[in-house]
Amino acid sequence: MNAGLSEYLVLSGLLFALGFFGVLLRKNTLVIYMCLELMLVASTLALVAFSRFNGALDGHVFVFFILTVAAAEVAVGLAIIVALFRKRQTVMVDELNHLKN
Amino acid sequence: MNIDYSLFFRAMQPESLLIEAALAIIILDLTVMRRKDLSARLNVASLVGALAVALAAVLALRNGAMGEILNGVLNLDTLAVATRVGVLGLTLLVLGIGTGGARIRNPAEYVVIVLCAAVGFMLMASAQQLLLVFLALELASLSLYVLAGFDKSRPESAEAGLKYFLFGGMAAAFLLFGFSLLYGLTGTLDLPGMSVVMAATGFHPMLAVAMVMILVGFGYKAAAAPFHLWAPDAYQGAPAPAAAFIASASKLAGFVLFTRLLWGSASQGQMLGATPGWVPVVWLLAGASMLVGNLAALAQSNVRRLLAYSAIAHAGALLLGVIASGRSGPGPLFFYLTTYGIATAGAFGVFHVLENQGGAQKLKDLAGLHRRSPLLAGCLMVFILSLAGVPPLSGFFGKFAVFAAALSPAGLGSPTGWLAVFAIAMSAVGLYYYLLILKEALVRPAAAGATAVKVPAAAALTLVAAAGLTLIFGMFPSLLLRWF
Amino acid sequence: MSAHPHASLALFLLVAVGFPLAALMVARLWFRFFQPARPGATKQDVYECGVAPTGDSWIQFKAHYYLYALLFLVFDVEVLFLLPFAVAFTGLPAGALVAMLAFMLLLAEGLVWAWHRGHLDWS
Repeated sequence: MNAGLSEYLVLSGLLFALGFFGVLLRKNTLVIYMCLELMLVASTLALVAFSRFNGALDGHVFVFFILTVAAAEVAVGLAIIVALFRKRQTVMVDELNHLKN
Repeated sequence: MNIDYSLFFRAMQPESLLIEAALAIIILDLTVMRRKDLSARLNVASLVGALAVALAAVLALRNGAMGEILNGVLNLDTLAVATRVGVLGLTLLVLGIGTGGARIRNPAEYVVIVLCAAVGFMLMASAQQLLLVFLALELASLSLYVLAGFDKSRPESAEAGLKYFLFGGMAAAFLLFGFSLLYGLTGTLDLPGMSVVMAATGFHPMLAVAMVMILVGFGYKAAAAPFHLWAPDAYQGAPAPAAAFIASASKLAGFVLFTRLLWGSASQGQMLGATPGWVPVVWLLAGASMLVGNLAALAQSNVRRLLAYSAIAHAGALLLGVIASGRSGPGPLFFYLTTYGIATAGAFGVFHVLENQGGAQKLKDLAGLHRRSPLLAGCLMVFILSLAGVPPLSGFFGKFAVFAAALSPAGLGSPTGWLAVFAIAMSAVGLYYYLLILKEALVRPAAAGATAVKVPAAAALTLVAAAGLTLIFGMFPSLLLRWF
Repeated sequence: MSAHPHASLALFLLVAVGFPLAALMVARLWFRFFQPARPGATKQDVYECGVAPTGDSWIQFKAHYYLYALLFLVFDVEVLFLLPFAVAFTGLPAGALVAMLAFMLLLAEGLVWAWHRGHLDWS
């Protein structure tokens, strides 16, 4: 039993969809944030699979950089969430409604 | 694979200069300026940053169009050089209007992050490989998220930062998924190589998926309707200089990158632009943005939100320019982007000065500005009229050039021509809300007890220079257009 | 029978799922036949050990700690780039070394900044 390219792509598409619906439906910013990371991981999986089946290394190298960028996003995202929590004592998106006309 | 490092280091001189300046600013702030008060630290950091930015612009101009660097990872063509210089000019503007307000608690870090974002924009302007495109975009975006949430004294700032971050992160994920599908289809990350493979293989259903993903991603980043929801909140809550940066330089670099991705550079074949179906999608995004932006702006009573909706409307016109630039070249689009950036950053600069002396979030806070500070009122008039597209200011010529480019191939015989006519009609709607701002600032008497506004010298100088540029580019558009 | 190379993994999975399920089933049966149902405040406690628990079990971590996690992350990711560089080192020109040194200088600057600003102090 060997997984072909299409299986990897289906899995990565599923992961991406899961992450996307999580972002749309969840109310807790931390969970939304995890779903964002899931979307990034889905693209990473697609890249690795393509790179493997194309027989080239550049997709793998791309993944290295995606991991770095994801780490930087963790830093920035968590810093913003912590800053907001200190001001508001909440991380739920429904309560973030101070910006209005 | 042979890499010419000396050529690479020479091509990267402007970017590395900015990073070195950022390091120097941090070291200065940690040692010499440690005991000084906040505004002195902000002024010193801004001064060092501004000097570096000016020097980087000189270097970028002196190096000129160097062609492909690092085996085609970067392409420093004329458009890239022009965009680099444009981004640096807008950065200078943002640094200039940021001085004088001592509300930011970490002034040196603020300037450093502005410089990092500028480096990201400059790389976006010249990237010709998907990996670098993604890295440059993320460097710029992450810096902008931090800037949007920088003002720790106001909870709105953190909220704006969070909303911008969540939407931007989603856009990045969509873009990345689109990129990985593109890579899988063509087996290469280089944009020119991709266009060769795509021309040979023809259409593939996965290409359509990749295209939709990339368009959604750019739609979010550019705040085109229906992906615009973050923009009003981010513009309202972010510190004014950060909002100016988001509205000006990031638009310039982002649209240049988008154009390059869709149409390729002049020397290579067409990229995604050759794919059937993307022009109608961009067409729809452009039309929706102009409609939603202009109509929603009519209902705003907060100046920042009003400018945000006007930015959405302008994004629509810019998308029209992207469609048109496939035939006419990027000249009109670049002109529109630069002049729009100067005008909108200038308007935010005026609001920043006002906010530092008692808030100016509401439209009616602008009342009597012509009495309280004739200088600010005059500058605001120039910027707002330029945004509205009133001749002889540069905004008029930008609109004129883009609409002419959209109408010239087939007149009203093509959907693009009709969209241009719609854009002209919507500009007339836009005139109304721009004049509302000016009515408050120039006609309405000041509220009782309003005092004169003191404008910091650096901010005044920057605003006057920006207003002067808006006038000069309007009267002599060839100053910018002769590059192309 | 020529076993698939991953057949032992399937066996492991079977045991790993089956063993706890069997144990839970036994506990369920025991409860059904031998244990009378006597709910009470003590039974609902977090730890049912005779000592009254103090406070809530949902305590908050100091948000301050996340800074250390971030700093760790920076140097964790640095290795990702250093390792391929080290493997290919002998075949690389001097320019690559300069580029890598610049990369490490930037990271070190970040650490120095955090140190000087006092973000590394426990307090």
